[in-house]
Amino acid sequence: MNKRVLAIAIVAFLGMVDTFYISLKRGGPPVPCHVTKGCNDVLTSRYSTLAGIPIAWFGLAFYLVVFSCAAFELTGAARLMHLVYWPALLGFLISLSLTSIQAFVIHAFCEYCLMSAGFVTTIFLLSKRTPA
Amino acid sequence: MSKTKPIAIILAAIILAGGAAFYMSKQAAPPVEAVASSAPSATPATAPNGGGRSRGPKDAAVTIIEFGDYQCPSCGFYSPVVLEVLKRYPTQVRFEFHHFPLVGIHQWAMPAALAAEAAGDQGKFWEMHDLIYENQERWSRMPNPESEFLTYAGRIGLNINQFMQGMRNPDTESRVLQDVVRAREADINETPTFFVNGKKLEPRPQNADEFSRLIQDKLPK
Repeated sequence: MNKRVLAIAIVAFLGMVDTFYISLKRGGPPVPCHVTKGCNDVLTSRYSTLAGIPIAWFGLAFYLVVFSCAAFELTGAARLMHLVYWPALLGFLISLSLTSIQAFVIHAFCEYCLMSAGFVTTIFLLSKRTPA
Repeated sequence: MSKTKPIAIILAAIILAGGAAFYMSKQAAPPVEAVASSAPSATPATAPNGGGRSRGPKDAAVTIIEFGDYQCPSCGFYSPVVLEVLKRYPTQVRFEFHHFPLVGIHQWAMPAALAAEAAGDQGKFWEMHDLIYENQERWSRMPNPESEFLTYAGRIGLNINQFMQGMRNPDTESRVLQDVVRAREADINETPTFFVNGKKLEPRPQNADEFSRLIQDKLPK
């Protein structure tokens, strides 16, 4: 079994849990924010949506696509992992911008968003441009 | 090659991830009844004295104190919760609000506090307080919400000139800052921070029912 692809699948799964959680908590009671304290400021800021769609949903879609590619590759059904590289690069750049917005515009950090940024970065670093 | 296996794995992952997220989202904070017996925190658990605005009977059996910031989304979430509690216990609960604008992260928290205080000078603090929270999402995204506060002032029948003077009066700001000093002295570092009969609520109740259970315990049997 390809350990790199397995690692990507695990990280994408964790990303799915994270973004699912943020999506479910949207509009409800404040999310617990034990470490960074600024989750609710970030999650209700104007930067938390794009064209009216919560950013967390885009993240969820990204992780689902990555996980699906990894599942196909791991089971030998299809070689799709090389398709992950460019979306992962885009995801990495978006995460970088969103983290900068937290630091320099909102002046508050959301631990769930930082976790997701970590997951996207890991997926990007583990992904390869060409089929193995 | 069969595509059934990866599709089954993907579906299982969606169900598992969704289930885990749903479980986590339903994990309410520990029951509020446990607050009294929970381990003491590093911060003082008693409410500071003085200042603030209050609504409800003076001799109420239960006093809820909130240190809040008008631009803080969590405070906005709790505003209807508190109103619901006050509706349920009109004669047994007194509510006291203290300003704690987190000016470092909320640009318009201080003007909002000044607007509430300036309305208070004309005897309409709570009308303005409720309107500010009700419309938090709207004004907190504006480039400058002061004109919005003027609209609220008009809506609740304030004398606009007097209201504008009140907002710019150093005494008004000084009242807000006195609340901030009290909060700092009590080592309060987040909003909203609630106290019930002087005891800090850690963790915060998640809804009006949890608040009500807590109040019920404090009422004379």
